[in-house]
Amino acid sequence: MAEMISGASAKMKRRLILIVGVGLIALLLMILLSLACGTVNYPFQTVIDSLMSVINNGVVSGVDRTIFNLRFPRVLATFAVGAGLAVAGIVFQAIIRNPLVDPYMTGVSSGAGLGATLFIIIFSGVITVGGNYAMPVFAFFFAVLAFMMTFTISKVSGNNNVSFVLSGVITAMGFSAVTTILMLTNDDKTHNILGFLNGSFSSISWEVCMIILIPVLVISFIIMIYSRTFNVILLGREQAMELGVNYDSFRLIMMLIASFLTAICVSFVGIIGFVGLIVPHLARMALGGDHRLLIPASMVIGALLLSGADLLVKELINVASVTLPIGAITTLVGIPFFVYILKRRGKGYA
Amino acid sequence: MPENENILIDARNVNVEYETYHALHDIMLSIKAGELVAIIGPNGCGKSTTMGTINGLLKLSTGSLTVGGLDVTKVSLEEMAKMCSNIPTEFPPDFNLSVYEVVMLGRYPHRQSMWWETEKDEEVVRAALEMYGMSHLADRDITQLSSGERQRTLIAKAYVQQPRIMLVDEPTAHLDIRYTLEVMQYFKDLIKREKDMAIVIAAHDLNAVAKYCDRIVMMKKGHIIACGTPEEVMTPENIETVYGVKADVIKHDGALVMIAKYPIPEHNKEFEETDLACSSVLENNAQSG
Repeated sequence: MAEMISGASAKMKRRLILIVGVGLIALLLMILLSLACGTVNYPFQTVIDSLMSVINNGVVSGVDRTIFNLRFPRVLATFAVGAGLAVAGIVFQAIIRNPLVDPYMTGVSSGAGLGATLFIIIFSGVITVGGNYAMPVFAFFFAVLAFMMTFTISKVSGNNNVSFVLSGVITAMGFSAVTTILMLTNDDKTHNILGFLNGSFSSISWEVCMIILIPVLVISFIIMIYSRTFNVILLGREQAMELGVNYDSFRLIMMLIASFLTAICVSFVGIIGFVGLIVPHLARMALGGDHRLLIPASMVIGALLLSGADLLVKELINVASVTLPIGAITTLVGIPFFVYILKRRGKGYA
Repeated sequence: MPENENILIDARNVNVEYETYHALHDIMLSIKAGELVAIIGPNGCGKSTTMGTINGLLKLSTGSLTVGGLDVTKVSLEEMAKMCSNIPTEFPPDFNLSVYEVVMLGRYPHRQSMWWETEKDEEVVRAALEMYGMSHLADRDITQLSSGERQRTLIAKAYVQQPRIMLVDEPTAHLDIRYTLEVMQYFKDLIKREKDMAIVIAAHDLNAVAKYCDRIVMMKKGHIIACGTPEEVMTPENIETVYGVKADVIKHDGALVMIAKYPIPEHNKEFEETDLACSSVLENNAQSG
């Protein structure tokens, strides 16, 4: 059948192949660049030689360790988080039917923030099990708690999109307020807390990288399978149901999945602002609204954007000796863009 | 019985009751293939509720309703989507979908794979775009269409769903006179061509309805007040009962024309409350962003 298909469908297949092809090449180049750049910048030849030697002999030299054990998982983690937040953003935008919402709207990021803060202030040093995982687990637990609260409040208050958005807003505010109080009453820990709240990829092991990467890939794949259903969802509840979509359960399941995805993304690396909002827009501007193209393209763009921002963070340390939080960078880059979108399209959301 | 096979919508003693009010009272309605039927009546009279029960989105309290032989209380959304398509009045906000993409959404109930459309899907969509004169706009973003073009896109989308019943909710609400006539003519042409289909239109524009529809169902406060040909239903008496408006009905060029004169004082008071209750329930059901 495949060779008989012509016209629009064929055009879309070509575009999809193009996205995946160009995307993979771009990601490979980004990996190479990220492996080369850091506190010490290596020439590409050194990077390739080192990778070859790792493949053949395992990690032996200090250069191998830096490139393969530090930089490699770091760049893959930026890919995973960038792609994951972008996909979560697409899901929320489609379901809420408002392109101006982002994956943090369920309060997940504020929950994770409070979890990390509580851990840093109270439990760091007290809890010795779990090693480096103790804080992310705390953050994750509170992130899940936050979206459960949002869901519950929304459910008892009409279970519609407006109540959902408002529930998310007040949940986020509540968690943030507690975080602020804790932070201000514990001056000595403020720096650590702020570090988490603004995101960092500076200490990602292979293990952590996989803990983020695998769920992101699996969940994104599941969401991608339902691309056509997401297209139908854009028509709204009633029209989606009239086309045979079991809207209410679809909406609930996808929101839970996307919230979970967001929670995984923020728990290990902190809060990365704006990626989940902007990336779907960039993809939509370039490719239109069909989710079959939108999701893979957003994953590629999200991965490139966040790894690019991380590259910037690494190089700024070299050039200007400043360590800027990556979440703040993405947010700063994102705001003018957001204003641009709002100016162009915000009038439609009266 | 061959005659029964022709009956696409068969409602018997349908009641829809909510906590606060009784939306439909003992609705008896049977619509055959080949019919273009209009449901008219003031806001809150039960037009939308009737349509909602037909497409299975609203639950019946009592009574029975079959649509294309399927019992609406048992049929899945999926099966219903193949039987019955809807044309809404309002189009949701922009999401950068093109005309082609929107029309293609109508093929969703007939999908063969989770991801790809088939060649047949494409053919059907192309033919529909052609039929409604939208081919040249196929790649246009839906937000950049005129209201007439948007309506045609929605009709094309409902058409490619290849339903036996098409439910149309106030198709001419946002249209000027020219597009109103055009759109009503589309339905008239469609029913002539697809004789095993039925089209049900909830409408406000009595004159357009009288000109194009075979049968009119007139409703008030959840009851069917009158049902029959335009001549039978569109009488000054019925219009007075249902709308609380004094009107003349004249025949002009073979079609009935209603000329509204003035509202009858105090007439509407009694059912304004029902209106409010009804619209709030409908809003809850429509629940959107």
